[in-house]
Amino acid sequence: MKSRSMRLVQGAAVASTLAASVFTFVGGTAGVANAAAKKYTVDYVVGAASDPFFISMRVGATAEANKLGIKLVWQGNPSVYSSATQIPIVQNLLATAPNALVLAPTDTKALQPLVAQYVSKKIPVFNVDSGDANQSNITAWVTGNNIQGGKAAADALAAAIGYAKHCTSSSKCVVAIGVSSITTSTDAARLQGFAAEVKAKYPNIKALNPIVSNSQPAVATSGFKQDLSANKVAGIFAIDGTDLEGASQAILTAGSAGKNIKVVGYDAYATTIKSMQAGKISAIISQQPALEGKDIIDAVYAKLTGKGKIAHLTTLANVVLTPANCAMLCAKYVYKAA
Amino acid sequence: MSIVETPPPQGTAERPPSLLRRCAALLTSQQSILLVVLIAVMCFFDFHNSRFFSTSEFSNLIVDFCEAVLIAAAETYVIISGGIDLSVGSTVAVSGVVGAYVIQYLEGHHFGEVPSLLVGTLVCAGVGALVGIINALMITRARLVPFVATLVTLSAGEGLALVFSKGGTIGYDPVAAVWSATGFWIFTWLSVIVLVLTAILGIVLHVSRYGRYNFAIGSNPFAARAAGINVNRHVASVYILSGLLAGLTGMIFYFQTSGGAPQSGIGNELEAIAAVVIGGASLVGGAGRFTGTIIGVAILTVVHDGLTFINVATTWNEVVVAAFIALAVLLQSLSAGSKKLL
Repeated sequence: MKSRSMRLVQGAAVASTLAASVFTFVGGTAGVANAAAKKYTVDYVVGAASDPFFISMRVGATAEANKLGIKLVWQGNPSVYSSATQIPIVQNLLATAPNALVLAPTDTKALQPLVAQYVSKKIPVFNVDSGDANQSNITAWVTGNNIQGGKAAADALAAAIGYAKHCTSSSKCVVAIGVSSITTSTDAARLQGFAAEVKAKYPNIKALNPIVSNSQPAVATSGFKQDLSANKVAGIFAIDGTDLEGASQAILTAGSAGKNIKVVGYDAYATTIKSMQAGKISAIISQQPALEGKDIIDAVYAKLTGKGKIAHLTTLANVVLTPANCAMLCAKYVYKAA
Repeated sequence: MSIVETPPPQGTAERPPSLLRRCAALLTSQQSILLVVLIAVMCFFDFHNSRFFSTSEFSNLIVDFCEAVLIAAAETYVIISGGIDLSVGSTVAVSGVVGAYVIQYLEGHHFGEVPSLLVGTLVCAGVGALVGIINALMITRARLVPFVATLVTLSAGEGLALVFSKGGTIGYDPVAAVWSATGFWIFTWLSVIVLVLTAILGIVLHVSRYGRYNFAIGSNPFAARAAGINVNRHVASVYILSGLLAGLTGMIFYFQTSGGAPQSGIGNELEAIAAVVIGGASLVGGAGRFTGTIIGVAILTVVHDGLTFINVATTWNEVVVAAFIALAVLLQSLSAGSKKLL
């Protein structure tokens, strides 16, 4: 009797686990747009599927796929932006033999062997947002111009801290930086653009080593607090939304010490735009994820149907949003919710 | 079969160790050495940047310490009882998200800031306790091993935090964040509450009957059962306590991030286990010191924060933490070796 009840409890535990997993899977990652009656099936694999950036991209890509009669299979780890979690997904999808693969690689090199396997099976591979270091197997790549975005961020931050007035060679202005990952091409490009612009135009800015938040706001907050405590920080460059959240929080809890710190950061989430309007952020660098999603689906369609030209590389400009131009631009560039 | 007790040689029986020996034992204990290491590390950071020994930096360190200490304390209870709880990190996330929803709802209905936060704290603790109850049922009723049972809730918790929050941070509560930064000298009010709770947990573990049962069960559950201890009930209570403390940590993260973020606490279970190991607890159960865990958490906090403080690339963090774990294990084996020699 006892062993029977124990088996029942064990069964219930396993069933609840499966239910939770299915619930998570359905809510977090997978999605098939209009599965029936579509001519082409395109697998679309992103980094962290729950990131508002990728949610906005999904809105643009799904709308375009529906218009063109493409069945879109959307995949990605719910929260972890890592090649370790992305590789198994891409590997499993190979067996489903899609007509094309759209991939936002989480690492510039780690996905390349898998991409080669797709290409060997005559499945064209496209990059969106981040890209592989070796583009020889990639049919087309649509991305934001992250180097330009990094440079624009440096200009916006220099203007916000009053570079000409306050930063001198004997008293350099210290700037803290936060990134989510240093092995992603987008983050690396933004850092590169920012560093190049600082070196070329703002020699009296001292940039601290970047804080790596691994997409965790609390880690970013803690790191920025250390930077604020150790240095007289004049400004912060937050390379994505997570770090922007962390920077705002660190400044908020720093009290009077955080009063004059200027923040420039990536990603036009509804919440960050609200913070900018409240005067807590000096400028936001916005990408165009919905447009990236639309453009890559157009490229896929052109390849599959042979209709239209395909540009190997399409770079969409990053846009600088400031309190001055927000009334005109923010509504257009804010990341769309699902 | 009979057991014959051999009387100890005359003159040596029951003789308490001399004061000198006790002092020597104290000074050469793992915790004393780790404490010296902790102070040395802090001096090293201050040598590189003299702002390290400042009230603002100590305040930061204590805040970060408080984010980690409750789940490390929970893990200490669990590990000493012979188990392990991998779900504490994801419980932080899911309880923080649910708590944030409740606070957002109450504040939206003019419930008032303080009552909303108090109810939110209770909800966080309740969600944590619920996860603890699920763990306890799987371990004591379904007889799953703790590693597997808590792996289940780790995975489910991470997923549910994302499902509930749709990937974004829930709520924006700058008033709570500003309050969490107020206090006196190097202490915020929030950290005072956490430190008092931590002290109570330490006292209960080492002074109360509940704590002694915990050591007894971790040391030998069969003997503990034979001695009349209700092992299942105690083990269940330990996992519920662990969930509850993780839930409260979810609320601490709410204060730190102005909302409930689904990524908060993810992966922190490994850091908590590392702190317990550095503190000298045995992973097979039955042995460990609460003060050791406290020093372990302090070392990890100082290393994480200090490296950023002196502008070392944060990618070195994990390497340095690994070095400290290796040092702790080395000290344990040296200590075991010296005992054998004695």
